[in-house]
Amino acid sequence: MTSRFTTGLLNRPVWFLWIVLLLCFWVAAWAGAVPVTADDWRVLWRHEEPLTSGAYVLWNLRLPRILFAALVGAVLGLSGALTQGLFRNPLADPGLLGVTSGAACAAALTIVVLAGSGIDIPIAWRFWVLPLTAFAGAVGVCLLLDTVARWLTADSIAGLLLTGIALNALAAAIIGLCTYLATDEQLRSLTFWTLGSLAGGSWSLVAALSLLLLAAIWYARRLVGAMNALALGEAAAAHVGIHVRHLRRCVIILVALLCGFSVAWCGVIGFIGLVAPHIVRLVVGPDQRRLVPLAMLVGAIILLVADTTARIVAIPAEIPVGIFTALLGAPFFLALLTSVRKGG
Amino acid sequence: MPHAQQDTPMLSLDRVTVNLGQRTFGPFSLAIQPGERVAVLGPSGAGKSTLLKLLARELSPASGHADFCQQPLQGWSLPDLSRRRAILPQSHEVAFGLPVDLVIGLGRVARMHDPSLASIVQQAAEQACAAHLLGRRFDTLSGGEKARVQMARVFAQLWDVEQGLLLVDEPLAALDPGLQFSLMEAIYTFAAKRGHAILAILHDINQALQGFERLLFIKHGAMVGDYQTPHVTLPLLEALYDVNLACAVTEAGEMIVAPSLKQRISA
Amino acid sequence: MSFLNMSQDDLAIIPARRQFLLQAGALAASVCLPQSLWAADKKSARRIVSIGGALTEIIYALGASQELAGVDTTSLYPEAATKLPSVGYARTLSSEGILALAPNHVIATEDAGPPAVLRQISAAGVPVTILAANDKFEGVLDRVARLGTLIDRPTQATQLVEKMKADWQRAREPILARKSPAPRVLFILSHSPGQVMVGGKGSSAEAMLHYVGAQNAVQGFDGFKPLTPEAVIAAQPDVVLFTDQGLSIVGGIDGVLKLPGVAQTPAGQKRRVASLEAMFMLGFGPRMPQALTALDNALLKVMST
Repeated sequence: MTSRFTTGLLNRPVWFLWIVLLLCFWVAAWAGAVPVTADDWRVLWRHEEPLTSGAYVLWNLRLPRILFAALVGAVLGLSGALTQGLFRNPLADPGLLGVTSGAACAAALTIVVLAGSGIDIPIAWRFWVLPLTAFAGAVGVCLLLDTVARWLTADSIAGLLLTGIALNALAAAIIGLCTYLATDEQLRSLTFWTLGSLAGGSWSLVAALSLLLLAAIWYARRLVGAMNALALGEAAAAHVGIHVRHLRRCVIILVALLCGFSVAWCGVIGFIGLVAPHIVRLVVGPDQRRLVPLAMLVGAIILLVADTTARIVAIPAEIPVGIFTALLGAPFFLALLTSVRKGG
Repeated sequence: MPHAQQDTPMLSLDRVTVNLGQRTFGPFSLAIQPGERVAVLGPSGAGKSTLLKLLARELSPASGHADFCQQPLQGWSLPDLSRRRAILPQSHEVAFGLPVDLVIGLGRVARMHDPSLASIVQQAAEQACAAHLLGRRFDTLSGGEKARVQMARVFAQLWDVEQGLLLVDEPLAALDPGLQFSLMEAIYTFAAKRGHAILAILHDINQALQGFERLLFIKHGAMVGDYQTPHVTLPLLEALYDVNLACAVTEAGEMIVAPSLKQRISA
Repeated sequence: MSFLNMSQDDLAIIPARRQFLLQAGALAASVCLPQSLWAADKKSARRIVSIGGALTEIIYALGASQELAGVDTTSLYPEAATKLPSVGYARTLSSEGILALAPNHVIATEDAGPPAVLRQISAAGVPVTILAANDKFEGVLDRVARLGTLIDRPTQATQLVEKMKADWQRAREPILARKSPAPRVLFILSHSPGQVMVGGKGSSAEAMLHYVGAQNAVQGFDGFKPLTPEAVIAAQPDVVLFTDQGLSIVGGIDGVLKLPGVAQTPAGQKRRVASLEAMFMLGFGPRMPQALTALDNALLKVMST
C-alpha cells in the first residue's frame, strides 16, 4: 500500500505541480520591494564587499520567507487532507473543526492570563512559550473532538461538524473574552494571531519545519492506506483489520502537531486546508495515497502565490496574507458547496 | 437442544452474554464447524444483529467465553482476525467516490506486503459478478452494483485463506430476487471452495431453508433453538415469529413458507 | 509588560551582527556573508521611516521632513506626510518593504509589529528605535526631546519644547481659573457602525478630558470597552464626545441619539454632542496645546446650549 504513495510522488500530475511550484518560486524570488539582480544570486560563492541590498534581502529575508510560505502551505494541505480522510467528509478542515482556533485560543489565553499573572519568563523561553501553548491548544481541541465524536455522536458526520462548530464558537468566545480583558499591549500580540503572517520566516524556521514535514510525510505514508479503509465506515474498517481508534489518534496527533506548529509561527491562515485537498480530489479522485502528497503540493502553491501577492500589491506596505487565501479560497468553497449539492 | 459436536469447532460461544444499553442479550452458546452454513432467524429486535456484532468483535462479551480458532476472540489482533474472518455489512455506503478496484482492494488493506493484490481484486470481482464495474467510481453505482462490489471486497479479504469465517448481515434484503439468488450462489461457491463457514442473518425464511444446513432461532434476546434444517417444522417457525404460516411443497420437494391470513393448515 | 513583544531591550540583546551570522551560518556553513549595505550608510544622508502619527508630526515640527523616507497609515498630519511612501498598517509591517526604502533609521511607537519584522530590520543593520508614548503632556515633551537627539536636531527640539510649554500654559490658564463644575463627558470611539467603544478609566481620552477640567463619565472599567446601553445611562454624561471620523460613521448627531441609551442621558436630551479630528485630539503630538484649547472650546460651546 505504501509503494503507491511513493509512485504517487512521481507520476504525471505531480510533475506538473512540481513545475508550477518551481515557477512560483522563481517569480516569488524575483518579486518584491527591493530589486534583485542576477549577481545577487551569486554571492553564495563570490565573496563581495559590501553586500548589495538585493543580495541581503534575497538571501536573508526573501528566500527563507518564500520557502517558509511553501512549507506552511504544504503543512496546511497535508493536515487538511488528513482531517478530511479521518472524518470521511470533504467539508472538514482543521479550521472548520476548531483545531486552529483552539491553537489561537490557547495563545490568546497565554498572552492575557499568563502575562497578566505577572509570572516572569526567562528571555530564552519567551520565544517558545506561545508556540508550545498553541500546539497544546490544537492537541487539546483535537482530542476533545475525537472524544465527543466517538461518544456523543457515534458515526454521525453532521454531529461531528456541529461539534466542531461548537468548539469553534467556544474558542472564538474565549478569544473574544481575552480581547476584552487585554491591555493595549496584549491586544497588539493578539492581532498577530488572528491576522496570520509569514513575516517571521527565517532559515532556522525553514529548517525546523522541513524536518517536521519530512517526519510527518514519513509517518503519513503508513497511515494513508488505512485511511482509505475509513471510507468504508469505522465498523467495516475494523473488520478489514484497521485499528480505528489507534489510527484516529495517530492522525489527530499528527494534525494537531502540524496545525499547532503553523498557527504558532504564522497565526491563523484559513481555507488552504479545505481547498487544497478538494482541488486534488476533483482532479485525481479521493484515493488518500495520491491525495495526500498532491494536497501538500497544491497547498504550497496556493500559499506561495497568496503570500507573494500580499507582499507585492502594496509595496512598500504588506497586506495580511489571510485576505488573499480567503480571496482564493472562498470562491472554491462555494464551488465545493455547489458541487456537493449537485451530487446530492 | 445444543447440537452434538465431534470436531474442534472454529467458532464457539459458551454462555456468552452481551450488554447493549440497558438490555442484556444472551446467553448464547453455539459451535460452528469449518465449512458449515448457518442462518440466524428471528423477529426484528430479537438480537440477531447483536449476536453478529459480538462475533464481529464490535461488542465484547459481558460474561462467558467466545473462542475463535481455539483462541479467545478478544485476544486476536485486528489484522490477524481480518485474515480469518470477513463481514458483509447490511449497508453498502462508502464515503467519497472511491474507485471500485480500490474498494475491493481494501479487503486486503491490513496485509503489509501483498504482491498478488491486483490479480486477487480482478478474480474476486469476477466471482461477485462485478468485473464490469472495475474502473468506475463507487458513488456512481446502483444499489445492486454496490452490493456486488462489497461482496467482492469480502471475497478478496478471504481469497487466499482456508477455513475462514464469513459473517453476513442481511446484505441482499433490498435486491431483486434474481440478483439475490445469483449473489447467494456466488457466496456459497466461494465459501465451499475454501472451507469457509458462513453465518448469515436472514429475514427470508425460504432462503434460509434452501441454502443453509443449520438454523439458529433467536427471540427476546436469547437463543431459543439450534436445528439442522431438515428438523425445522412449521410450528417451530410459527412460534419463533408469532404468526400463522402457510407451507407449500414444490414438485422438486422444496418447502416454501409464507405468512398465512387463513386458518392454519398442517404441514 | 508583555513578554511577547520584542521590546527595545530585547532588540539590543541580539546584536545585529550575531543574528546575521546565525542566519548566514544556516544558509551555508562555509560562506560568511559580509555585513549589509545599510549599516555602512551611516555617514550619508539620513533616511527615516517613521511609524506612528505623533512621531511623524514631531519630525515635521523639527523641520526634518526631508529626511523622511516613509511613514505608516496613521501619519495623516501634516497633509504632506500622506504623499510619502506608506509602509502600511503599523502592526503588519513588511521588512522588505521598509528596507526597500533604504532607511538608516526606523523610529516607531510601541504599536509597530510584528516583532519578527522589527528583528529582521534590526538584523539587517538598520537601527530600530521604539519611543513609547504615555498620555501625559510631559511624555510628549520627553518624546520631542528624545527625537531631537536621535535625528540631530537638539536645538530645534529645545525650541519646540519651549514653545509647546508656553502654548500649554496659555491653554491651561483659563481652564484652571474656571470655577464652574466639571462637565461629565462620555467619549465614544467608533471604527464601524457595529463597533462602538467607550473610553473608560485610564484611556487616552480620559487623559485629555482631565486636562480640560472635565470628568470622564465612565469609571466602571479600564481602557476602551464596547458600549452597553445600561452603562451609558448609568454614566449620565452631560456631553458625548466623538472623533470627527467616528461621528460621521454613526451618522451625525441624529445617529448619536439613536445609539442605545444615549437618548436617556442629559447629553442626549439636550443634543450635546462634540467632536474633534482623531489624530488632533488623541495624537499626543506637537499640537497637543492647540488640541486642548479646541477641546475646551468645543465642550464650552455645547455646554452653553
